[in-house]
Amino acid sequence: MIEFQLDEGSGVATYVQLVQQVHQALRVRMLEPGDQLPTAQQVVAKLAINPNTVHKAYRELEREGLVRARPGLGTFVIRPLSGTDAATQARFLAAMTDWLRSARLAGLDPDDIEAIYRTAFRACFAEGAA
Amino acid sequence: MMTAVIETSGLGKRYRRAWALRDCTLAIPAGRVVGLVGPNGAGKTTLLHLAVGLLAPTSGSIRVLGASPADGPAQLGRVGFVAQDTPVYARLSVAQHLRMGAWLNPNWDREIAESRIEQLGLDPRQRAGTLSGGQRAQLALTLAIAKKPECLILDEPVASLDPVARREFLRSLMETVAAQGLSVVLTSHLIADLERVCDYLVVLVASRVQVAGEVSELLSSHHRLSGARRDASSLPANQEVIEESHTDKQSTFLVRTGDPIHDPAWTVRPVTLDDLVIAYMSRPANPERTHRPRLEVTS
Amino acid sequence: MIRFTWLQFRMQAGVALAALCAFAVVLVVTGPHLASLYAASGITGCHGGTCATAASGFLSRVDATSPYTLMYTLGIGLILAAPVITGIFWGAPLIARELETGTCRLAWTQGITRTRWLVVKLALTGLAAMAVTEALSLMYAWWADPIARAIGHGGTISSIQFTGPFGLVAFATHGIAPLGYAAFAFTLGTATGALIRRAVPAMAVTLAIFAAVQVAVPLWVRPHLLPPDRTVVSGPSFFQAASMSVGTLTATTVPSRPGAWILASGPINAAGQPVTTAPAACVGPPPASGKGAPTNLGACMASRGIREAITYQPASRYWPFQWLETGIFLALALALAGCCFWRVGRRRT
Repeated sequence: MIEFQLDEGSGVATYVQLVQQVHQALRVRMLEPGDQLPTAQQVVAKLAINPNTVHKAYRELEREGLVRARPGLGTFVIRPLSGTDAATQARFLAAMTDWLRSARLAGLDPDDIEAIYRTAFRACFAEGAA
Repeated sequence: MMTAVIETSGLGKRYRRAWALRDCTLAIPAGRVVGLVGPNGAGKTTLLHLAVGLLAPTSGSIRVLGASPADGPAQLGRVGFVAQDTPVYARLSVAQHLRMGAWLNPNWDREIAESRIEQLGLDPRQRAGTLSGGQRAQLALTLAIAKKPECLILDEPVASLDPVARREFLRSLMETVAAQGLSVVLTSHLIADLERVCDYLVVLVASRVQVAGEVSELLSSHHRLSGARRDASSLPANQEVIEESHTDKQSTFLVRTGDPIHDPAWTVRPVTLDDLVIAYMSRPANPERTHRPRLEVTS
Repeated sequence: MIRFTWLQFRMQAGVALAALCAFAVVLVVTGPHLASLYAASGITGCHGGTCATAASGFLSRVDATSPYTLMYTLGIGLILAAPVITGIFWGAPLIARELETGTCRLAWTQGITRTRWLVVKLALTGLAAMAVTEALSLMYAWWADPIARAIGHGGTISSIQFTGPFGLVAFATHGIAPLGYAAFAFTLGTATGALIRRAVPAMAVTLAIFAAVQVAVPLWVRPHLLPPDRTVVSGPSFFQAASMSVGTLTATTVPSRPGAWILASGPINAAGQPVTTAPAACVGPPPASGKGAPTNLGACMASRGIREAITYQPASRYWPFQWLETGIFLALALALAGCCFWRVGRRRT
């Protein structure tokens, strides 16, 4: 069973951290469809956080279609993280490498590239600040 | 639609000349872990004592779980309370305290009480006066939990505990919330603890409520804006300035707004709960500021 | 709540029980001997004037036997002290200690109301205080019964130690009066504790107030509870008998009214005016035995028309006085208890 960690100083909301850790576990195949996620009580016993936070994280995962809560039994993974077949990943990796090469040739240094990336990322995924 | 665990309307309490609490209007939803923060003397203990019926209001009204506080044995049984400094009867043993709980509380669950004491490693025959601070706090919490309340009210329960005892107390408390689904209202100075366990926050400064709301809503509605030097009054009306600081070239504002920020001149950064609470606690007292945009969650 | 009150009260109850047992042992050991002295004195089956002499003889024998006068006095002292002791150690800390230590914040947020909490604590502990004092009084009354009966038969003794139940000091130790005093002292303790909110100062204040009341009531309140009787006694036999104190010319007993409580007495002349001292001619040399009046005092006073005016309460009024005084103290106790309820009410900070 997955064991959650909490990074207090990161500024990322606790429930988001839990969701991210489930995504990560799915990506590296530590969690497979049919596996049970820890109960709220188990998470709370380890991390001393609000059980509502755990419920919120699990609801988010359910909304994403990754898990389902079965009343009285627990919360179970129902499908793996989508779109991670190796070919698609390789294609985007190649495109990204090309882009980085041309950015360097144009004279941008790593910090500029980082800033551009973060602005575009934020605009695209719009998490947190509106 | 959840009922409110604590609902107040213009609640105030005065001692002789000074108001310990004033114009307090809150609607705290049930099923949350509520953090009540504020500097010493802000009125936190007064508010909690009003909620459990140890004090009567001077003005306004308060209802807890839909009824008047301490209205009778039934209402007293619905609310569990741990007072500041966790008072216990020094000459009685741990076991005798549990017997007191059984005799004085109609819904007492003996199994919960005894298993908790065993889990915590407390010696039932030990006199309560010789327990350490952390053990006393755990005993007091056991007494409050074993009466099977719908709501727990805790006044600075971890203030005098070392970090290990503190973590243990909070863990124990959160496990109970997970198992029994209670509402909890607790006061604390330690914001790091509150960040872990609270999902609803009330900030009380100088006897008045400064802000109250779900933690996620508060975090998403407060932003730190930095940019070229400008005056606070030049900001749009829908952005309430909580904190401001200026250098000769740059201004930084902590604002509260329900609307998105589109002005590209600003660098917008999120605010941590820590920053938010400290900003509200450091605001100079302004008695005219009694009507603020309310961001209560209605879900 | 009853069981919890007992849990908190156990230790104090144990101490009281031990004290009662010790007292009982002392009384039981000496009581039968006292009773046998009485039986041997011939008072039983006496009639008329011989009773008074036999009784006085018995009392002098008791006075002469070493521990008895001490026990008599100490017994009265203990019964007088018991209310204030329970008032201080049981009453004053009852509410004050909970307020001082903050345990009231624990007690008043359990599943019972403050009213019920206070009612049970006051009732149980108060009734225990009353029972302890009354038990002391009853045990002592059993032991001192021979002495009381002797006084009832008109026995007298020049030392004022044996005064009988209607005496100024002993009244509060007999009958039902101890219940009233105990209830009053206890509720005085709890009320001062509730008002002052600290146990030790409350103990001091309770002691001061109760001591003042214990002195004031017999002197200034009790005499006025019922209108007294007045009588004028004349004749040489009165002044001759040992029933008056020669130095002050006040009566120590009322003739044919044994056991009466004398409020005031003094000689008056034929015209009814008070006489401050005996005429010099009447006060001759004292008799050889050193006790009693000078031999010619009686005839001398009578020839000058000097009589003794006595204001007194007859012994038959003993029980009305008991009821009145106990009633007053119980009413005060109820008022003080009401004060506790008011103070413990929601207004407290």
